[in-house]
Amino acid sequence: MARRKAVQTAPTRLGSRKRDLSPADPYEVPDDVETPRRRRRTEPSSTIAAENGQDDDEDANDSPSRNQQTPAKRRGRPPKAASSAGTPIKTAVTPKSGRKRSLPETPLKLNGVDTPSRRNIADRSARRKSARALIDRVLGGTVSDDELEEESIAREIYESSEDEEPEGEDQDEENLEATTPSKTPGRKRRTARRSPTPPRDLPPHEQYFYQNKPGLAKTSGNTLASLDLLTHDEYFSILRQLKDPHAADVKFLESLHAESFPQWAFELSQGFSACLYGYGSKRRLLHNFAQYLSSQDPSHKIVIINGYVRTLTTRDILSTISAALPPVNGTNDNPSTTTTLPTLLSHLTTLPSTPHLTILINSIDSPLLRAKPALQSLLATLAAQRPRIRLACTADTPDFPRLWDAGLRAQFAFVFHDCTTFSPFAVCELDAVDEVHELLGRRARRAGGKEGVAFVLRSLPENARALFRLLVGEVLVAMEEQGGHGEEVGVEYRMVYNKAVEEFICSSEMAFRTLLKEFHDHQIITSSKDSIGTELLSLPFRKEELESILEELVS
Amino acid sequence: MAQNEMIDASFEEDDHRVAFIFQPNTNVSHEKGTDGATPRSAKRRKLAAASSSSSTPKKHRQHGSTGTNGGVGVCFPPLFGGTEKPEAAILRRELFEEAWPVLEKRVQHVLREANRNTLDEVAGFLKRAAEIETDKLTSAFIITGPNIAAQDLLFEQLAERLCADPAGGDAPPRFVRLRASDAPNLKAVLRKIIRDASAAGPGEDEDAGAEVVQGGRKYLDYDLEALHVFLRQHQTRRVVVAFQDGEAFDSGLLTDLISILHSWRDRIRFELLYGIATSVELFQARLAKSTARQLYGAQFDVVQAGSVLDGVVKTAIASTYAALRIGPSLLRTLVDRQHHHVAGIHAFVASLKYAYMCHFYADPLSVLLAGQGRLTRPMLQPEHLEAVRTLDSFKAEAEAAVDARQLRHARSLIEDDEYLANQILDHGARRNEYLLRLLRSLHLIATSGLTPISFTDLYILALSDGVDISQSSGTIPLEDAIRRLNPDEFLTLASRLLHAISAGSPELGLTDFTADAEDLVASLTDLHDEVDGLSSRARSQGTTLKSRYSAQSRVLRTTVVAQKVQLSRDHATLTDEDRAFTAAVDKLCEVLAQHARCEPLADLFLHEPWTFDARAPYRDVFVPRPGNTLGRALVRPHDYLACACCAKAAADPAGRLDPALPTTAVLYHLYLEAGALINVADLWAAYYALVGEGEEGDGEESDAGGGGFDERTALVQFYRGLAELRMMGFVRPSRRKADHIAKVKWL
Repeated sequence: MARRKAVQTAPTRLGSRKRDLSPADPYEVPDDVETPRRRRRTEPSSTIAAENGQDDDEDANDSPSRNQQTPAKRRGRPPKAASSAGTPIKTAVTPKSGRKRSLPETPLKLNGVDTPSRRNIADRSARRKSARALIDRVLGGTVSDDELEEESIAREIYESSEDEEPEGEDQDEENLEATTPSKTPGRKRRTARRSPTPPRDLPPHEQYFYQNKPGLAKTSGNTLASLDLLTHDEYFSILRQLKDPHAADVKFLESLHAESFPQWAFELSQGFSACLYGYGSKRRLLHNFAQYLSSQDPSHKIVIINGYVRTLTTRDILSTISAALPPVNGTNDNPSTTTTLPTLLSHLTTLPSTPHLTILINSIDSPLLRAKPALQSLLATLAAQRPRIRLACTADTPDFPRLWDAGLRAQFAFVFHDCTTFSPFAVCELDAVDEVHELLGRRARRAGGKEGVAFVLRSLPENARALFRLLVGEVLVAMEEQGGHGEEVGVEYRMVYNKAVEEFICSSEMAFRTLLKEFHDHQIITSSKDSIGTELLSLPFRKEELESILEELVS
Repeated sequence: MAQNEMIDASFEEDDHRVAFIFQPNTNVSHEKGTDGATPRSAKRRKLAAASSSSSTPKKHRQHGSTGTNGGVGVCFPPLFGGTEKPEAAILRRELFEEAWPVLEKRVQHVLREANRNTLDEVAGFLKRAAEIETDKLTSAFIITGPNIAAQDLLFEQLAERLCADPAGGDAPPRFVRLRASDAPNLKAVLRKIIRDASAAGPGEDEDAGAEVVQGGRKYLDYDLEALHVFLRQHQTRRVVVAFQDGEAFDSGLLTDLISILHSWRDRIRFELLYGIATSVELFQARLAKSTARQLYGAQFDVVQAGSVLDGVVKTAIASTYAALRIGPSLLRTLVDRQHHHVAGIHAFVASLKYAYMCHFYADPLSVLLAGQGRLTRPMLQPEHLEAVRTLDSFKAEAEAAVDARQLRHARSLIEDDEYLANQILDHGARRNEYLLRLLRSLHLIATSGLTPISFTDLYILALSDGVDISQSSGTIPLEDAIRRLNPDEFLTLASRLLHAISAGSPELGLTDFTADAEDLVASLTDLHDEVDGLSSRARSQGTTLKSRYSAQSRVLRTTVVAQKVQLSRDHATLTDEDRAFTAAVDKLCEVLAQHARCEPLADLFLHEPWTFDARAPYRDVFVPRPGNTLGRALVRPHDYLACACCAKAAADPAGRLDPALPTTAVLYHLYLEAGALINVADLWAAYYALVGEGEEGDGEESDAGGGGFDERTALVQFYRGLAELRMMGFVRPSRRKADHIAKVKWL
């Protein structure tokens, strides 16, 4: 969308410059950017007065945004590549700011009467304050966008003047997009306020500060309401027919990586752990690597851990690993029961110090593995058991090295390899539909809708169904009362429990918990805590869905 | 895409499993036999077809065969595009396996030695503390510095040491190592202490420790009574608890733990060790005063990382035992990294090892490192000779030969394979000669104590620029320092140098080289005797011996002649002895300059086979820049994919986006242009305008080239791209506005 903005603003600026010139000298060619300002100063006061009124107004509107623009300009935009949109903007903006800087004095000098209106002053100071509030917030670091009540107020004040006109303008511009420069009034104001296209080639940190300037983050009010979002079914049916134009290149890339398998194997054998990073799914690569390793030494055991699976636990890892190890003679004849790290480690030390096991980890930086530092240190401890255990992993995010502190890094002893594969992520690694819907705050993951619930409930005992019916009823009542719709409405855990006891659904809190756990496992309820810490239960369904579920349950 | 799906089918069932034991499915396909079109084999074929270089599969087969021949371990793949003889590849591997362990052992030795003092002190302190009757907990605070990775070795050694020499003749103490991550709460810590302390030691039979049940009662696993009972069975009372990262522990937890251990001290003698990164004062400030009062402690320092590094460089990298030389620029990078980042000596050693691995794995000429007996003429393939002819040092040698009018030599080098092969086979001797010269010079300079430069820096300097001690042009100017010596210092220097020559340097692997430096020894002895005589004569005369270079000897005279001031510099008052001493000093300079002299490494013919100086592999492998890598992949996919469409996009002068780019790359471009808050609806509109069928906007139509997607397909792509962006952590949900996402990465 930024791209489109650039297209729009460029002609407008040209137009506005033309307009500046027209009253005095319609025939003058706007070749010299300095000209308008110089002329204005020497002209008879009558024209100036007329213009001043307007300029002043504009000044009032602009004052905060000018504050922000100045540093950007002083920093100097790097020389542009021959970008079609960039050049005209640059020439158009520079003279403007120069002129405006001199503006506040101009009226006083010449007329001595033309002060800004009282309202303007009030507005301006309010705006200034809110701008300061916004800046403070940014400096204070609480920019996390969730609780931003105050900020939105400040921003509203701040943007109030901008909102006056642009509402209509937005449409204007939509229509006028990429046509001849228009001469409608108000256009100039807008173009002056809007920052130019983001300066390119800034270092990342400058880019960050540039883009996080208060007031700059203005986006259109468009929503995806008109778009029919994808369902899983549609997604997969289309995906199956889709042909990747790069499939051959991706294959070739993969074959290039495959040529370093011997190298990686050598590194692993020398007590390093390999970490493969870069864009694209590396799952297949790792799989092929496992294939290669086992072809080199078929007796060698390989354990693959899928970090992207969201239910990964320490127990899973340990039990799989201990199952892969040769059993201890005598004492522990069933190694799969070994589920604590110390026992596994002591088991390892009894084995001769030859390689026994290679652990390959997909997505060591998956959200789950990021959230649980204990798992990382578990993996590091395992990696440190060289030469008995070797380890290789893949990482997808750009900041994965920050997962490990010096101690863990030393335990892992990583060598890193750029393995950009460009191959698409498989469904198991990345559920695009869920992921995007979660991103948009639409529907969370759950057992597929109403039918899913019915299916789950059918397999549960009678009192579980009764409890769910109770819960649906309560949530519906709460919805009626609060007027909210769907997913956010919650009912108090205590209250539900009391009702459940009253209706003889369960006799103890333990039993109640067990029932709820079942629902949790199937993701048909969610629980949360409100601000004062009371536990709330809610159902991730829309009201209509709830109603039909209830009907089904009652019937 | 459809193909991918099919391929994926082979390991689909494993996809959703959390962890599983890999089953190679080649065996499966063999068993199935009839089912020739198993997904796995289908993919194999495709891969082979896709890779343009048909050598790939062949190469793999070769690994297979050599893999079985080569015996243990992974075999090196043949180089020279696969034409390297298998014997050469095996030889390279053998060379690596011989070269590295030597070095590793020496490094380990240095590291262990470095901690020896600390160990002695700590052990001594604990012993002394045991003798003092106090009701406080004995605790040793070991200032380990900020690098927690280095602590492991220290505490391991402490455990060995304390268990090896039990104080007071009773059974060895139990040693428990705690890390903050092991200790989320008090129960867990106690449990760990009890478990580790009562775990069977290496030499004990297991069942002794297994049962901590007494009188039919089983203790809770965090009850110290269990430990008490266990210790009574083993006739010991001592338990050493080491807090490896003392500061990382929660201070409340630490306080509780200390008071519990304190209350048990009449039954179990706990001794505490803390690894501390900052200072004891800061650590103490975190404890309650009452807790601190329960401790009886002393503070110990470990050796600074810098001196350990110097030791490692000296004994491992520079010593004659090192088969492979680490080149000056790589070594400089490694050392700088040690200084600038707290990377720890282990990281240094790992990088060192990696350099060795790289050299022997990837450089076919590394076979030349093999000694005379093993590197034979038949081993040298034409490719080896050809590779040698491309070396910089070869070119330099040939050019030098031409300049020196040794045309026959130059000609035969270039044309005569046999001649060159002989040169190559001889180069080992030249290498040894050079190394000896280099290390002896450095040894002399280092022992002279005339320069404040550390050995590491000296070594790097010597490799890159050579050794030359002359004041004006030299790399290591020492002459001034020598001239400033007074007679006593002169004498000590001379005797020190003599001793250095006769004793050699066990660290550098230098033995007595008196025989090789006869003239140096002779002249040093002469000078020593002479100066000794001179100074005793001067002393008997009541004057002090000085040389022309001493500061006092230069006198500035002021004479007033006819109301004009004349300044004159005077070398007056030099006695005969002084003059003799001056001559001796000059002679020493001369002699030393003659012997401490060595050319830079790069000037040596055929130094490449035994030098590794590439910084790139080190940087790529140990200092990854995943952000840049990802950014590059997404901004310029062409760099990786090398496909025509992306190349076109890259070459587009207008910098327009090509819809043929991978979806995520297109989205990433748009993402870069967007502000901190992104409207997904607009993002979608922009994306669809780009890749769609081109119904809106005349400009897009030509771009899409008719191959645009319909809306739903485009949406599927869009979903995928957006989901990938999220997975890589570029965006996150935002609740500021509907359908907006927040930008969180600025790469």
